[in-house]
Amino acid sequence: MTGRRHGPRRQPRWVPVARRNLLAEKARLAMSICGVAAAVLLILIVTSLYRGWSAAGGVFAELPGDVWLAQSGTSDPLRTPSFLPADRLDELARVPGVRAVIPVYARRVALSQNGHDLNVLFMSLEAPSAEAWPADVRDRFLPEQGRVTIDGVFAREAGVGVGDEISVLGHSLVVQHVYRGGNPLFETAFLNSADAAELLRVDRFVNFFALVADPGVDGAVLSSRAVAAVPGSEARTAAQFAAATREMVHQGFLPVVGVLVAIGFAIGGAVIALTIYTATVEKARDFGVLKAIGASEGFVYGIVVKQSLSIGVVGAALGVGASVVVATLVRDRVPEFVTDLRPWDATGVFAAALLVAALAALVPVRRISRIDPATVFRA
Amino acid sequence: MSGGQGPLLRTQGLTKEFGSGRTLVRAVRGVDLTVDAGEILLIEGPSGAGKTTLLTMIGALLRPTSGRVVIDGLDVTALGQRELPAVRRRSVGFVFQTFNLLETLTAQENVEVALNVAGVSGAAAHARARELLVGAGLEQRLDLRVRGLSGGERQRVSIARALANRPRLLLADEPTANLDSRHGRDVMQLLRELAKEEGCGVVIVSHDGRLRRIADRVLTLEDGRIVGADAPDDRPPRPVSGARSG
Repeated sequence: MTGRRHGPRRQPRWVPVARRNLLAEKARLAMSICGVAAAVLLILIVTSLYRGWSAAGGVFAELPGDVWLAQSGTSDPLRTPSFLPADRLDELARVPGVRAVIPVYARRVALSQNGHDLNVLFMSLEAPSAEAWPADVRDRFLPEQGRVTIDGVFAREAGVGVGDEISVLGHSLVVQHVYRGGNPLFETAFLNSADAAELLRVDRFVNFFALVADPGVDGAVLSSRAVAAVPGSEARTAAQFAAATREMVHQGFLPVVGVLVAIGFAIGGAVIALTIYTATVEKARDFGVLKAIGASEGFVYGIVVKQSLSIGVVGAALGVGASVVVATLVRDRVPEFVTDLRPWDATGVFAAALLVAALAALVPVRRISRIDPATVFRA
Repeated sequence: MSGGQGPLLRTQGLTKEFGSGRTLVRAVRGVDLTVDAGEILLIEGPSGAGKTTLLTMIGALLRPTSGRVVIDGLDVTALGQRELPAVRRRSVGFVFQTFNLLETLTAQENVEVALNVAGVSGAAAHARARELLVGAGLEQRLDLRVRGLSGGERQRVSIARALANRPRLLLADEPTANLDSRHGRDVMQLLRELAKEEGCGVVIVSHDGRLRRIADRVLTLEDGRIVGADAPDDRPPRPVSGARSG
């Protein structure tokens, strides 16, 4: 015997009518899949931007400090000014359970750099030098005097990098470090506390006190003790402070995100529904033949559902893959678009796309039920 | 081998009317006929005689206005709409004038899909489809899509599909109308061979006189009525006996 030996070809259990119908019109199939993929891409990019922007206040969670003390009535640290008497520092340091007290200064400053108008939240931590701060905390939040650390959006918008000089309220500062992150609402930068005293004009006040707790000390207990030491103050954990900032983003962007996500699903659903309906109308005679030879409505409808779900699965998978690529590219090239594509978001959108595909398959139900099998006898 | 004691197929007073009042059309008028297992009945008649309407009623695709269709002892006209597909897939096979194959499928798949409809799948469906197509002389054409088949080959696939589920009754609507004489002859021969082999009764409606060669009995339909019954040779129609018009 010559030639290659072939094993028995594996036969599908059922004739793949749905797949064959779809592949019969490759151009339309490709357009449908791309339409679904584009809808999923839109939804996931909007969602990931929303997630990324929601993390704008996350900087507070990353700063050293277990409990933050602010002036009473401070809803969030970005919009509500907070002033606390600086002379309460020693009092706070004596509160049982407090390992270190960090006066924090924060002020939004409008400045112009290289022709760009910026709205920068300058912050400064007057961190005790005795504390052994981790390297990433030092690099990001504790610059040397005369230097400043800035976020990626600031660097991009201002067109500056490490070693460049920027002018802040008439003072020249050298960029010491550019850290990743940022958001489209405002830029962030950290000053040395000595520069902050001069630039931000703080004297007898601090904006916040960040308290570092001794190991094992309960945050709630520490908060109540700290509030008692500083009249007119209220305490929050770093997580609560970050959450308050996130809430601000939620209020501003959630309705917009909701509308865009709804539009995305509507587009995706319409694309699938239109494709499936068109394919059903085109194949009405074939479905009539199947009915004539005894196929039940369920059998015929199963073909339509398989077609719809096939487009949904392939389109959604392509959309998720494209979202990963686009989210990465956007994050790298446009820092203010802070994307955070989460696996559960991708999984949820994928599942929702399949649900929409299944619902889209309902569109031609009436059309299928109206197909009269007797018509196949007409030439 | 009918389920009951009588013929495989019996119609009684089968009538179909379309429209109402001044637009009323009586397409089929009180047709009585019988077909035994293994018998081939040819129903001839001019265009518009009601042949296809009669066939679709026998095939449980169209409800008669009145009358009964009994297949293998089962009165299909008494069944509900949801029960009719089961009758069609178990008891009836159809051969169409325009073949009505699914263009996106291969010859083999067109036969297999009929088996799938009846719940037969995988290797069993594959083997049965192959057996029928090989019997129809299409061993070399199994994996060709419909567009790659000639008209005669398409009709052979259509016949194989009609026989896939071993129906008791095969209904053929103008099976040679779209074929040239050579392919028409081949299809007629195949229809007779496979029908006899499978032991099913066959009803063919056609105005193609060549089909008399394979028929056991011939009825003539005009204006919805059976006007004559005949032996399959070329004798002129004789008065109806065993079939009546109403």
